Amino acid sequence: MSQIQKNALAAGAGNGAHIARTSLAITLSVWKALFLREALSRLFSGRATWFWLLAEPVFHVGYLVFIFTVIRVRTVGGIDTTVWLITGILAFFMFRRTGIQVMNAISANQALFTYRQVKPVDTLLVRGGLEGLLIIVIASILLGAAALFGHSVVPADPLAVLEAFFGLWLVGMGFGLMTSVAVELVPELGQVIKLVMRPMYVVSGVIFPISAVPQPYRDWFMLNPVAHGLEAVRLGFAPHYHAVPELSIAYIYGFALVSIFLGLALHRRFALRLVTQ
Amino acid sequence: MIIVEDVHKRYQTDHGPGKWILQGVTFTIPRNLSVGLIGANGAGKSTLLRIIGGVDQPNKGRVERHSRVSWPMGFGAGLQGSLTGRQNAKFVCRIHGHEDDIPDRLAFIQDFAEIGDAFDEPVKTYSSGMKSRLQFGLSLAFDFDVYISDEVTSTGDAALKNKAAAAFKKLADHASLIMASHGEGTLRRFCKAGIWIHDGKAHWFDQVDDALKAYKDSLPK
Repeated sequence: MSQIQKNALAAGAGNGAHIARTSLAITLSVWKALFLREALSRLFSGRATWFWLLAEPVFHVGYLVFIFTVIRVRTVGGIDTTVWLITGILAFFMFRRTGIQVMNAISANQALFTYRQVKPVDTLLVRGGLEGLLIIVIASILLGAAALFGHSVVPADPLAVLEAFFGLWLVGMGFGLMTSVAVELVPELGQVIKLVMRPMYVVSGVIFPISAVPQPYRDWFMLNPVAHGLEAVRLGFAPHYHAVPELSIAYIYGFALVSIFLGLALHRRFALRLVTQ
Repeated sequence: MIIVEDVHKRYQTDHGPGKWILQGVTFTIPRNLSVGLIGANGAGKSTLLRIIGGVDQPNKGRVERHSRVSWPMGFGAGLQGSLTGRQNAKFVCRIHGHEDDIPDRLAFIQDFAEIGDAFDEPVKTYSSGMKSRLQFGLSLAFDFDVYISDEVTSTGDAALKNKAAAAFKKLADHASLIMASHGEGTLRRFCKAGIWIHDGKAHWFDQVDDALKAYKDSLPK
């Protein structure tokens, strides 16, 4: 339906001597417009909104480093505690911020569905893309700052780090794609998702190494793809890091692809329900 | 030409499907004919306009648009409060594929809206009249065959109404208007035909005066 409508729309958008735009052209121009709009409101909607985007992870790193210093933990799993914390927090934020932003995309952009060109799924994909880019920028700044403090933050295997970050971004997208439909159709699920997300910070291994958990419980922790992602990022930074032996990049990507597929299928199935009231 | 065929619509409420708002609405709007929608509050005028504009879908029945139809303007729809008028305008230009001539269109919108410096202030600071000025300017910046207005004129002042009337006069040879309004004068000024919406059905009148009369006759004396 959306393809046909978009085609019909192409006509609706031209001027005098108009040429019908292809669906792809319409989608691309919608993505571009949405991206610029999202970036504006994400960074400049209030007074120094951009500052808080950066301040949140800095604050997390700050107080955790303080606590770990007080209890005199200098290394975790064989690497510098600060690097271990920064990489974990950034990797976790990659998942959580992407997921949450994408999940809330529909309600935040309700006003834009007045324009037939804009479909709910467009707003999700663009939001996710923007958030991923922002985290990369924030990560660079944070790592740069840590380098100024004398920590060795140059990843030993940059490709492995990017691979893990990208996997976490995909998992966040899949999470957001599925939950966005869920909270639109059944608003109560929003509360449940909040409850589930709360312990994620802990069970993903941001503040303690999952490799310290004995079997068989470790296997339960490792069902969580975000835990795999965090360990993979750390291992990419320092190959001598004692990562969880069960670590599997394939699991992250498999989980991501399945959830993205399910999310897109939900969007396809409920396309009408999401725009009609 | 716009064909509305047997459109049924009801909204989903917290306790199951609500009552039918539109129940078997059928009519055809020919090219270049401006039509006024008349009906009591809650009769389903806005719902019908949203369905014609393709923003909402009917539960049953269908709408065929054989022309370029604008988005439904009304009550700040399609404007993002945290962004300025200019940013909103740019967004609309972009999604309509007019990346290259944004400055021209912005100039047109700014000139039509005449809201001065407020064009660079967030839309949430606008009065409802300023919003309707911006909305009218926005949709007139694009060449549609049919413009859909949901009470946009009612919040505008006389100057805006004159300006909109002049603009539509200029477009009269190739564009028309579908509007919902409670202002009789406005309806007479902009529309030729009328649709009276009553009890979920639409009644077509070739003269808007007849539609107004039918509406008034239905009111309890």
